[in-house]
Formats: sequence, structure tokens, C-alpha cells
Amino acid sequence: MITLWHYLAVAAALFGIGLVGFLTRRNMITMFLCAEMMLQGVAINFVAFARYHGNLHGQVFVMFILAVAACEAGIALALVLMLYKRGKSLDASDWQSLRELGVPPAIDTVPLDIEKPEAEPTLAPAGVRPTLTASEEAARV
Amino acid sequence: MNLFSLNPTQLAGGQIALAAVLAVVGFALLLPRPRGRSVAGGIAALIGAAVVFAAFLYNAFGNPMPDVIGSVLFWLFSAGALGFGTVLVTQKNPARGAIAFAFVILSTCGLFLLLAATFLMAATIIIYAGAIIVTFLFVLMLSQTDGPSNENDRSREPWFGALAGFAFTGLVLFTLYLTHLRTTSASEDGEVAQRLPAPVLTTAERLKLADIVAKLDAENSQLPADSTSMVDRSRMAEHFEQIKAEIVTVVGSTEQSHVGSLQSRLGKLSGNPGVVLRTDEQAVAVLARATAIRERNEQVFRDVDNFVLNDPKHKSQDEVQAELRGLRDDVLLLAGAAELPARNVGNLGYLLFTNHLLAVELAGTLLLVATIGAISIATRKGAIA
Repeated sequence: MITLWHYLAVAAALFGIGLVGFLTRRNMITMFLCAEMMLQGVAINFVAFARYHGNLHGQVFVMFILAVAACEAGIALALVLMLYKRGKSLDASDWQSLRELGVPPAIDTVPLDIEKPEAEPTLAPAGVRPTLTASEEAARV
Repeated sequence: MNLFSLNPTQLAGGQIALAAVLAVVGFALLLPRPRGRSVAGGIAALIGAAVVFAAFLYNAFGNPMPDVIGSVLFWLFSAGALGFGTVLVTQKNPARGAIAFAFVILSTCGLFLLLAATFLMAATIIIYAGAIIVTFLFVLMLSQTDGPSNENDRSREPWFGALAGFAFTGLVLFTLYLTHLRTTSASEDGEVAQRLPAPVLTTAERLKLADIVAKLDAENSQLPADSTSMVDRSRMAEHFEQIKAEIVTVVGSTEQSHVGSLQSRLGKLSGNPGVVLRTDEQAVAVLARATAIRERNEQVFRDVDNFVLNDPKHKSQDEVQAELRGLRDDVLLLAGAAELPARNVGNLGYLLFTNHLLAVELAGTLLLVATIGAISIATRKGAIA
């Protein structure tokens, strides 16, 4: 028997996963998707409560969540586009000059492991250069 | 021999044979060979075989408990949502992350469907499908896939971030557990409703009311004719008395000052404003309906008794039947009081334009402002290159 509590627990877990993603990822588009996932977790809560109480007010709330998510998508993607135009990167940490006063900057110390470009194929030398005898040398001339 | 009058063994045998034949046809059509292969036909045959096999299972071994299907779907969808959500968070490639997000949305929509929110399921798929496609275009435009980059291959404080997120989740889950514990342990002495506004009807009450409706339907056609003997009449009167008593256990009675189960549960809810956060409108409405039924119950069964026992001033059979039917309709309405309406879209629209009209207008304004804002941000000149 699936109860209200199952849905609430799943929604909480979904929200938590989205929260972790939003806190740790640095790609602004991935951060945006993680925020949307948190909204989905909340929406599951609302719909489950609507089912539990037997009225539709929770579903109406989810419709407003959808409207706000659409606004958020429009504004956020426009902002991401502007930031990309300025910094040529989607990295949110490029904008850490906006951080709070007195907080030390986060500096990446570990270098990225650069993929070595694959060496172009070379052929192993096959055969040997013939050593000519005196008569052959004479014949070539 | 009549094909439609088979005994169960023959039916099961026929179904197995049909399923086997369909499966053979399907596999023969699907197996690779140079000529005569038909993928569409093979798949159709295999689907037919699967359907016949399912019908056989249903016939032979009984309905495998409808709740099992619900449980399996629930676990499937929630595992999908959480699993693909994990993929989205941990995947380096943002394009793959966007695809995983699409699957998260699909799983969530499955959960919505299990929760009887059909319109929201469709709306979420449509809106997020658009959003995901746009996001996907952004990813393809902006992210260079050549080699590792800061934004995709680094995380901001992975240990602390994960710790913060999952500590939060753990606390929420633990609170859920404690609340659950409290509501279930208190259910014996009926204090559940104080912690969490309970559904106005319990499952047991709803089943009982549905049972009463069925009994009323059955009895309505069996009112005694004039020729019925006195013994039969008194037995019928007892039967009606029983139905009346069953209604009384739910809605209570005026004569014996007996409080029904609805009153004893919901009355506590609405009568103690210090404990309850808000007045539950639905509970109040259901209580009013139960009060109406309580009075009607007394009156209808008094008339029925008079009629059955052939009291000199009894009403006509048509009148009594109409009264019984009215009572039955009332009980049916009460039984459906705690259910979601069947017409999801229509009722959602009704609710939006009656109770939430101001919010709808505000959401529309918000969308307009957001559109203007997005356009003005995206077309801004003078960006530092």
C-alpha cells in the first residue's frame, strides 16, 4: 500500500539531490536544471497532499509553480547567455569577484588532467636498405 | 459445439495455445533471414501473445491484487526520478545531463499520474519538453566539448556541498518519520486529526457507506406487496432496522444521542481551534452533510416501518421508494466527499477561475514581466567582450 509518506519521502530525496547539484556544480546550465529538479520535488509534495485531502488546491499550486518555472527559465537562460558573452565560459566561479567582503577567493589548485592528443599513426620501418656490392655499384653508374 | 461455453480448463488451454502460436509467429517473423522478415508483423504478434498470456494469468491465477500494479509503478517511477536525478548531478557532460533531466521529468509525470493529476502530467511534459529543448540548444551552442574544462570537470566543494544537501534531506526524512510515528501511534485514541488534517472519510467509512448504498439499492425493489404475510413483514422491518443502524454508526442519530464516527473524529477537528491550524472547510461541509443525512435517516425509516408493518396511516409505495432513493443518493454523495473529482481538467479550471482568480492574474502578469525582462536582458548592447 503506497501512502502519502512514500511520496513525501521521494519528493524530499529529489529535492536533496537537486540541492546537492545546485551547490556543487559549476556549469550554469546544469545548475539551472538542478534548480528545476528541486521544483519538481516540491510539486510532487503538493500533488500528493492534493490526493490525500481529496481536493484540487494542491494541483492548482503546482500550476503556479509551472508558470514561475517558465519565467525562471526565460530569465535564467537570458542571463546565462549574457554572462557567456562576457566571460566566454559557463563557469559560475568566474564571477566570484562578486563574493562577500572578507571571503577569500576560491582558487583551483589541482590541475585538470589534460587529455593528450593521440599520436598520429606511424609505420614501422619494413625491410632494410640494400648494401650494394662493388659490381652493382659499378653497374648503377 | 459452442465456442463461448467452454469450461475453465478448456479456456486456459485455448489461451495458452493461442499465446504460443502468436509467439511462434512473432519470433519466426523477427528472426533475421534474407527474405520474408517483417519487423512490424513480428512485434504485433509478440504483443498479441503477451496480451493473451496476461489474460491467461488473470483467468487462471486470479487478479494479482490491483495494488501490486500501483506499487510496482510507484517504485519504478520514483527509482527513475532519483536515479536520473543522480545522473544529472554527477554527469560531466551537460548535454547528457539535459537528457537525464528529461527522464526525471518523465518519471515525475508518472508519479503525477499515479496521484490522479492527469492535466498536470500533460502540462508538465509540454512545458518542460519545451524548456529542455531550449536548454539543450544552449548547451550545444555554448559548451565546447574539446577537452576538460573548469565548469564541467570541477565541482565547488564536493564534500561540503554533498554533506549540506544530504544533511538537509536526512533531517527532512527524519521529521517525516517522527510525524508518521506520532500520527500512527495516536490513531487508536483518535487524535490523528490534530497533527495533520486527516482525510474527511477513512477508508473503512467509505467502504461501509458504499455497502449501505448497495443494500439500499437491493431493498428498494423488495418492498412488500399487500399480500405479504405478517411474519415476512416483521422480518423485513428488522432488515431495514439493521440498515438504519449501520447509517447511524457513521453519521450518528438524533433520538438516541449517539454520535457517529464522523462526528467523533471531525467534531474534534473543528471544535478545538487551539490545536488545529485552520478551519477545515471540507470537514465542516461533510459534517453538515452528515447532519442532514442523520435527520433524513430517522424520517425515512419511520415511513418505511409504517409501510412495511402496514400501519393504517402509511404512505404509498411510490412515495416510500422515492424517499429511499433520496436517502441512497445522499449517502452516495457523502461516500464520494473525500475523493478527487473524476473530471480533473474541468474541475481544475473551475477552481482556478473561482477561488484563485487573483493568483491567475498575478501569474499572467509575472509571465509578461518575465518575457519583457528576458528580451531586454538578451538584447543588451555594450557588453564587455
